[in-house]
Amino acid sequence: MIIHVNSSSGLPLYLQIESQLKHAVAAGALKQGDSLPSVRKMASDLRVNPNTVARAYQNLEREGVIRTVPGGGTYVADNVPGLLKVEKLKRLRPLAMQVAVEGTHLRLTQEDVLKLVEEAFEDLGAKP
Amino acid sequence: MTEYAIQTEALAKLYAVTRAVDGLDLRVPRGSIYGFLGRNGAGKTTTIRMLMGLAAPTRGSATILGMRQPEDKLAILQRTGFVGEKKTLFDAMTGRDLAKFNRPFFPRWSDELMAKYSRQLEVPMDVEFKKLSLGNRTKLCLLMALAQGAELLILDEPTSGLDPVVMDALLKVLIEDYAGEGRTIFLSSHNLAEVEKVADWVGIIHNGKLLLEASLEDIRADYRRVTVAGNALPSERNEQIFSISGSGDSREYFVRNEAERFAAELRSQGATIVEISPLNLEQVFLQLVRKEEPCTSGNSGATPVAVSSSI
Repeated sequence: MIIHVNSSSGLPLYLQIESQLKHAVAAGALKQGDSLPSVRKMASDLRVNPNTVARAYQNLEREGVIRTVPGGGTYVADNVPGLLKVEKLKRLRPLAMQVAVEGTHLRLTQEDVLKLVEEAFEDLGAKP
Repeated sequence: MTEYAIQTEALAKLYAVTRAVDGLDLRVPRGSIYGFLGRNGAGKTTTIRMLMGLAAPTRGSATILGMRQPEDKLAILQRTGFVGEKKTLFDAMTGRDLAKFNRPFFPRWSDELMAKYSRQLEVPMDVEFKKLSLGNRTKLCLLMALAQGAELLILDEPTSGLDPVVMDALLKVLIEDYAGEGRTIFLSSHNLAEVEKVADWVGIIHNGKLLLEASLEDIRADYRRVTVAGNALPSERNEQIFSISGSGDSREYFVRNEAERFAAELRSQGATIVEISPLNLEQVFLQLVRKEEPCTSGNSGATPVAVSSSI
């Protein structure tokens, strides 16, 4: 698993780590039960402050993407987050709204935008 | 145990004509990597010398690891790894000699650590100090500080003269063995990109005063540049707006927080928001320091001129 952080991108470093780990799980590069490096290992590999990695891990754990066994490491969660579908949809709605708004501003049609989302799913599926 | 590894209250060093350090209130949280930033002559080295008890403050106080300067000066020196601005040690001594000389002064000195770090940082141990290159001198100074096993490191420009490979090795040591162990690092540097990655707190000093002390995550999450076009745009800085550039009907506002709300307010007054973009540490540094520069002409609001009361 390779993670890159870019300190000048303006996106908080912990968000960069979060989104890359989420992407790796969604694309199947990380599978359920795979172990993740410790906070300290990841921090020293990326040469970033350990608090930054700890914050990313905390957020991912809260969202059910990973789980931490006290004293026993960190793993990709076995189960999908125990949320009702209604809750999951609610979480994604702001992002969907943002895509719709940006698409409208760019004068794209609804079909164009939906096609883009479909392609994104295909890209994820194509990964090993 | 106090919450801060370093805490100063109105710390000041005044010389006959200059205020080198002018009322500094530093709060360096335990376990943090704190980047202490400023231009040449901003007061960084004078501050660090006062923290270490190498210069006496004119006013104010400094508390290091819960101990007070100057009463506990010796204990502070024993428990703090220090690399000064001038990377000097005894000229005629080799790294091995210096280790033997330093060992008895520091209760937590570890030969094991010294061996490990001299390998990681590739420090030549059998060459007299005076015959070493600038980079190797810096490495030897760092090694002596690291081998102390101290719970606090105070480093003045620790990366000056280091090649990229050694610099990377040093950052790994600092993150793994210091920050990873909950120990504190206070370092001054001009390398903003490096600080931005490894630090979690920054303090920016200018003309002896602290312009900013904040966690880097807050800066990344909240600090924004808002580019605006419109008429009668605000031209005054305030709590939220820390810098403004541009003039007339096109301006850039640098805000500390709530950029979206700031933009919405301007929009409701008829202005057009061109862009809201995040700031990196270098941009924050430049904007903060620049606004303090004495550029009187054309800097609206900064110069007291005879203004008619109708405005």
